[in-house]
Formats: sequence, C-alpha cells, structure tokens
Amino acid sequence: MRIKAKAKGDYTEVKVMFKHPMLSYREAKKKGKKADFITYVTATVDNEKVLEVSTSQFLSKNPYMKFKFKGNAKGKEIVITWVDLLGKTKTGKAKIK
Amino acid sequence: MERRKFLGLGAGAAALFALPAGLMAENYRKTLPALWKVKNDEKHADDEKGVNEAIKTLFGSDKTEEGKVHLKAPAIAENGAVVPVSFKAEGAKRIALFQSADPEAAVAVFDIPEKAIPDYSVRIKMQQTGHVVVVAEIDGKLYKADKVVKVTVGGCGG
Repeated sequence: MRIKAKAKGDYTEVKVMFKHPMLSYREAKKKGKKADFITYVTATVDNEKVLEVSTSQFLSKNPYMKFKFKGNAKGKEIVITWVDLLGKTKTGKAKIK
Repeated sequence: MERRKFLGLGAGAAALFALPAGLMAENYRKTLPALWKVKNDEKHADDEKGVNEAIKTLFGSDKTEEGKVHLKAPAIAENGAVVPVSFKAEGAKRIALFQSADPEAAVAVFDIPEKAIPDYSVRIKMQQTGHVVVVAEIDGKLYKADKVVKVTVGGCGG
C-alpha cells in the first residue's frame, strides 16, 4: 500500500494505491482462479473515521483513491485498512506531511 | 434462561443505538449483498435499467434530481481497464458510483463520515462504452450526475 497524505491549509488530502489484483468474477474464471477484489476500505486519523467505502470488482487493478478530510492533520498518522472478498485484510500507515 | 437472553439482547440493542451514527460501520458487501448482484444489460450498455435498479436497491428510490453532484470522467477512455473518475457533492451523506458497461452496475458506495469531505477520485474498469453515474444523498434527497464514457477497445479506435 502506498500512501501520500498532505495537509493543505484547512483540509488534508490523501492519495493511496493498494496492491491488489482486483480479479472480477469473469477475469477469475478465465484464469482458473477465485474472484478476489477489495470490498471495503476505511481510513482513520486519531481513531476518527475519515473514509468509509464499500467497493466492487470494477475498481481497476491496484486501485487508486484520492480523498479529503476536514482539518489540518500535519504530523498525525493516517491508518488505512482494506478487506477483500476472500476475507484477507491489510493495514497501511503513513505520517501526514 | 429465556429472561436472561431477553435482557442480554436488550442491552446489546441499547448499546448499538447509543453509538453515534459516525461510528457505525456500514459494509454494504455484508449488509446489502443484493446491491452488488444487480445486472446491467451488457448487449445494450446505453441502457441504464441496471443502474436505476441498483440506485433503488441502495437508496430505496430511483427518483433523482439534477445538480449538486459534480462528476468528472473522460469523454474518451483509451484504456477501459483504467478510467479515472472524480466526483464531489457538498453536504452529501452518501455517494454511490455506478456504470452501465460491466456485468453488474454497482462500483462503490461511500458513506461520508462527519470529518470527511465528499470529494473523491477513483479509477474504474469499463469493458465497453457506457454511462458512468454518481448519485449523492443530500438532506434526504437524491441527486444524480451522468456521463457517457467512450471506451476504445484495444486502442484501435471504434
């Protein structure tokens, strides 16, 4: 997971890229694999939620997301977690610049 | 035994209701499995029937108004595997993203936490030319933005 988080005045902007094949049902069938894609992502700063999204197989491979939240969170840590269809989960952390 | 069960349930329910809305996690994959199964008509990707059905499944209504939602998507996407899409809707409680090009209509549902700014960019897959649709729930009303993205398959135009 690659995270770039930057405080910009009165808000903070986060760009994140997840490493994930995002195999749709059809793509998986062609490859003889199980469908596997990220289904749910959350992000928190100071234990407060700043992102919550449920996702489908139609996000691109290695999905990219940009989102914003209120407040200048410079120096704080952002924690981003995803869950995929197979129940796998991954958490990434980054310091907000 | 029955009584204890009942009491336990009551306490659990009370605790659940006591949580502020912002802390209640909503994973729509778990709470609304039907949403992700709503099919598009792949042979008629211009048809938004699947998208409208998915909107209704999620929001309980497909009655939408214009405005308040800003959607940015390319008019022509050379690579359907990576189509950049941005959208924002001030004051939105929920924003959902759909398309009419793939086997199913739903792409993503954003619940907007109190601290979040409803302004997002993602990259999506489109197997053919079709509509990209964003619906935002603002003050109990639904607002929709709709854009056609032309997908040139295999980079050979079309």
